Amino acid sequence: MKILVADDSRVMRQIVIRTLRQAGYAGHDVVEAENGKEALDLVRSEAPDLVLSDWNMPEMTGIDLLDALRSSGSTVPFGFVTSEGSADMRARASAGGALFLIAKPFTPEAFDEVLAPVLKG
Amino acid sequence: MYVQTSYLPQVKEIRDLLTDLLDRDIQVSPTPPLAPTPNNPCTVAVYVDDTLQVTSVIAFDLPLSAYAGAAIGLVPAAGAETAIEERVLNQTLQENVYEVLNIAASLFNHDGATHVRLYDAHHVGAPLPGDVMARALTLGRREDLAVEVGGYGAGRLSVVLVA
Repeated sequence: MKILVADDSRVMRQIVIRTLRQAGYAGHDVVEAENGKEALDLVRSEAPDLVLSDWNMPEMTGIDLLDALRSSGSTVPFGFVTSEGSADMRARASAGGALFLIAKPFTPEAFDEVLAPVLKG
Repeated sequence: MYVQTSYLPQVKEIRDLLTDLLDRDIQVSPTPPLAPTPNNPCTVAVYVDDTLQVTSVIAFDLPLSAYAGAAIGLVPAAGAETAIEERVLNQTLQENVYEVLNIAASLFNHDGATHVRLYDAHHVGAPLPGDVMARALTLGRREDLAVEVGGYGAGRLSVVLVA
């Protein structure tokens, strides 16, 4: 499987990829994007099986990325990995078509809980 | 009119956040307020609400800036010690400590409290604007902690509410 990780922080992309491995999801192809706009282009060119996206990013935010994907007919499984964990943000994520929202900081267990149905199902 | 107020994170919440984020054993204890000065350079993060009003600041002293920036990115402790000796963080450590302070915004974002986000971080060695300095020195609603980052070393932080 191919997983797209979108986050403007290089260290956070590293941590997300490391946590994927710790959660038992080693061996997947990982593609990285520095912002929502780059992620949108990469979804089109790379056809990932899952998008893990930050919320606050320059150029295009995560929620705008999700809106753009769904507007264009993409049904790629999409989850947020963000420091925005409020009930309001979770409701917006869900209404936009996100499968889950993982709040930073996170644990491998939190990753496995939400990823198992998507990647093993 | 109902006015939302900022949330002052509890000591345990600060310790838990650093433990999870840095994936290290973190010990905290009370300490006098941290005062950024030219002799005590600090990283100072400024947080704003949705109307861009400054709500709070978080200051890390030089050692904690270096240790937190190193620990989150798995940079060896020697890299942090070099930064402390040279009294400046390299670009990687700056980016890393910025991300620590970015995620620390979640400490304030309790349901019912003012929603805040990181607006800017002034790094160790950069001149600190007067208003940011004044906010960091505000007494009142604040937490001041000595922080031991397991495998790295000890530093200090202050969380200060200004609105």
